[in-house]
Amino acid sequence: MGRIPYWNISYGILIDAFAIPFVALFVYGMYRWWKLIRQGRARIRPDFPGKLGPIYLRALFTKGILGTKIYKKPYTGIAHGCLFWGMVLLFIGTALVFLNVLFGVPVFNGIFNRWFMSFTLDLAGLAALGGLLFLLIRRGFFSPERLTVPKERNGFISIVILLGLILVTGFLAEAARIAYNGTDPGAFVGNWLAQNTPLAHLAAGSITPDVIAGTWFPPLFGDTQGWLVFHQYMWWMHGLLALAFIAYIPYSPLVHVVLAPVNAALADPLPGPKMGVMDFSSFEDEEAEDTPPLGAAKLTDFTYKRLIDYTTCLWCGRCHEVCPAAQTGKTLSPKGVMVTLAEYLQQGKLEDESLVDAVSSDAVFSCTTCAACMEACPVCINQPKTIMKLRQHLIMERSEIPELMGKAHSSLELRQHPFFGTGAGQKDWRKDLEVPIFEAGKTEYLLWIGCSVTYEERAQKIAREMVNILDHAGVSYGILEEARCTGDPAKQMGNEFLFNELAEQNIEEFSELGVKKIITLCPHCYNSFVRHYSKLGGVYEVTPHSVFIKVLMESGKLNLTKSTKTICYHDPCYLGRRNNILDEPREVVSSIGELVEMPRNRRESFCCGGGGGNYWAEEEGTRINQVRTREALDTNADVIATACPFCLLMITDGSKKFTEEQKAFDIAELVSMQLKDD
Amino acid sequence: MHIAVLAKVVPDYEVPAGDFELSDNRAHSRYTRMMGLYDENAIETGVQLKEKYSASLTIISYGAEDDIPVLRKAIAMGAEKLVLVTGQSDDASVIAANLKMAIDNLGDVDLILAGQQSADMDRGVVHGTLAEMLGLTFIPQVSKIESENGGWKISQLTETGSRDLQFNGKGVFSITSIPENVPRIPAVRAIFAAKKKPVEKVAEVESNAMGIEEVSVEIPTMDSVCEFLPVEDVGETVKTLLTKLREERYL
Repeated sequence: MGRIPYWNISYGILIDAFAIPFVALFVYGMYRWWKLIRQGRARIRPDFPGKLGPIYLRALFTKGILGTKIYKKPYTGIAHGCLFWGMVLLFIGTALVFLNVLFGVPVFNGIFNRWFMSFTLDLAGLAALGGLLFLLIRRGFFSPERLTVPKERNGFISIVILLGLILVTGFLAEAARIAYNGTDPGAFVGNWLAQNTPLAHLAAGSITPDVIAGTWFPPLFGDTQGWLVFHQYMWWMHGLLALAFIAYIPYSPLVHVVLAPVNAALADPLPGPKMGVMDFSSFEDEEAEDTPPLGAAKLTDFTYKRLIDYTTCLWCGRCHEVCPAAQTGKTLSPKGVMVTLAEYLQQGKLEDESLVDAVSSDAVFSCTTCAACMEACPVCINQPKTIMKLRQHLIMERSEIPELMGKAHSSLELRQHPFFGTGAGQKDWRKDLEVPIFEAGKTEYLLWIGCSVTYEERAQKIAREMVNILDHAGVSYGILEEARCTGDPAKQMGNEFLFNELAEQNIEEFSELGVKKIITLCPHCYNSFVRHYSKLGGVYEVTPHSVFIKVLMESGKLNLTKSTKTICYHDPCYLGRRNNILDEPREVVSSIGELVEMPRNRRESFCCGGGGGNYWAEEEGTRINQVRTREALDTNADVIATACPFCLLMITDGSKKFTEEQKAFDIAELVSMQLKDD
Repeated sequence: MHIAVLAKVVPDYEVPAGDFELSDNRAHSRYTRMMGLYDENAIETGVQLKEKYSASLTIISYGAEDDIPVLRKAIAMGAEKLVLVTGQSDDASVIAANLKMAIDNLGDVDLILAGQQSADMDRGVVHGTLAEMLGLTFIPQVSKIESENGGWKISQLTETGSRDLQFNGKGVFSITSIPENVPRIPAVRAIFAAKKKPVEKVAEVESNAMGIEEVSVEIPTMDSVCEFLPVEDVGETVKTLLTKLREERYL
């Protein structure tokens, strides 16, 4: 005979009726959030394959529902997975009971009852309880710094108590039922409890005051009737607490259960913060009644997605733990930024312009835009975009920028490059070299030199060696007569207007020259061309030099000797994490030496400290480039390779603290050294 | 209160020595044109005074019409108006006479600020000459200005020290560079607004040039010499380095 739903419970259907007010509380709580969130700005987003309206289906399924990013921390991930999936299965089981009661769906018969309703649901409950215990002990006794710095979120203890009670009362109700009715095949937890606790005496009909006296059960349940009452208590407590749990979701950190999948579904799956480009035409238009805010000064200047970010954030601090600024004693903590914004949102301070000052200008400009925080975030929050929006406001609306960065910015504005006080002239890097100038209709590739390679002496070698490689391979290439900057530093400093001006000048020149294919030496230039120039009408086939070298190697145009050197490769953030170019540089390195990895590599790479305009920063605290260089040197590799002039300059500088030897090289320099004469 | 700031558009003053070349005894025209460094300090000082004392601020320049887009930055920084006297003379007396004409035309100027020296000619002569022509007091190398009891409290900063001065009436001050007057980056809205603000173009007036003839112009040649300084005491080494750089007139 199958299980009888609502056994020993009079008016059990009432639990379903009680669900209505609890669900109503849940809906009302979510509605309150929606009312807050909708005060953000709507954003029209481009179509993307696999997209349903604003929803990215793949991201919804993988990052949102499966929660794949949580498992980057395996222990916490598994504990969270056990809890979440355990509760999901228990919810499904409860829904099936409901369907059985209302519509007679046969869930309590045969194999399904044994293996799903009994075994699976017991397993789910046990997993959830295990996960819960792990998280409780970890938070209560071994709390990692990231959870408490700069602030710990309250509300978890009540959640743990609530969930624990739901699970325990569920098991006890099941065990009491089994103890009275006999073993339930498959319900291994219920069976064990029924057989190995005082509940066993209920089945044996041997409940006596003596038995009760030797157990932890209260004397209330000293006879059979008492045990039936005990079952009823457990059943009702379990049901009502489960309903309370649902109602509690929107009023506690549990809201992430709903919003994390939503946030993942709305997050553009392209890596990096995706700043896009700004349209300044309304500022030119004298008829325009309203001009958009430049950056964000208050919560209503952010989009819905950003406001969902702040609501979803659990303050888990994974972003804090990987942030190069936070880990080297700077004012910035991406978690701290999220906390501040979440508090403003919760307090309804949507129009409060003290927001930027609450976050602090120092923190905003300390961000290296490396996007490590985004990568680490388990709920797909875009922290860099928030920080960059605040930065845009500071520079474009309030003219605020740190002094050194301001000098670079002014130089960019005046001279179209940020290297103020440089001792290098435009043509110095190609002194004594025959470098072809790009000719319209004749040259295939534009070799884009960029500002750092032109104006920083150490980086000039990258271009010289790349010229050697291209000549060796017989590539049709040319450079611009006048060295230019893509404008990326302006964008990273937050001045979208200056970026647009510089980009539009370049696009105009490219159009005149008929440039279609570009080789870049700097990942920042590459990122600008592929992500931002295309939005301003400049669409080109752009290849980073590390990838281009790999293509030349594969096509047999480069004849290289392999050295015995061990080479440690540092992933530039704008190449690796932001553009997913991780394997090609490694393949190049492996072909000229023995590749060695740092502990933090590929998408988890640690920034050199030079991004986000912080190449021109007077760092407080530990220097980021020294931390990264130390990590590289600790691999005992002979050479540190990279594929970004800014990384090269930062690591070269960082290594001066530890060694007088020249350790850092660009990938082009290393390849050029290994070229064999044909 | 009406403040006028004198600004000059010059060729890029940071062109590396190895890349610098002359054309007709002046910096080559290929170099980007920009406002002089000290002039921007003077504009920033003017904007701060304007904001503090609700003054009006006018930028006055002597130069070519092509300079207007560059000078718009000064308006974007916070000035209300630009007066450009169109002319091409390099003669300090001619420039001063034309600036005087522009100031006279404005009529109600209380304070005239200028960068302590231009970034191209490095003479630091025009503002003194202008003060003489206007019959006003000239105070060079001013770092701070405050209005006090109807007059001015002024800090003067030189290489050897500083001193505070009090002054009543109208005057011409040359402004030196200090951290407090680092020129602001114009806000984007101000850049767009600056495009709509008035630019008054005035033809230059004839005036007598100074009795000086330019015979030749030379620029420094690149010369690499390496000298190692002992580093037993870093502080002492830095002092020695500074002394040597001063002796060689690099600073």
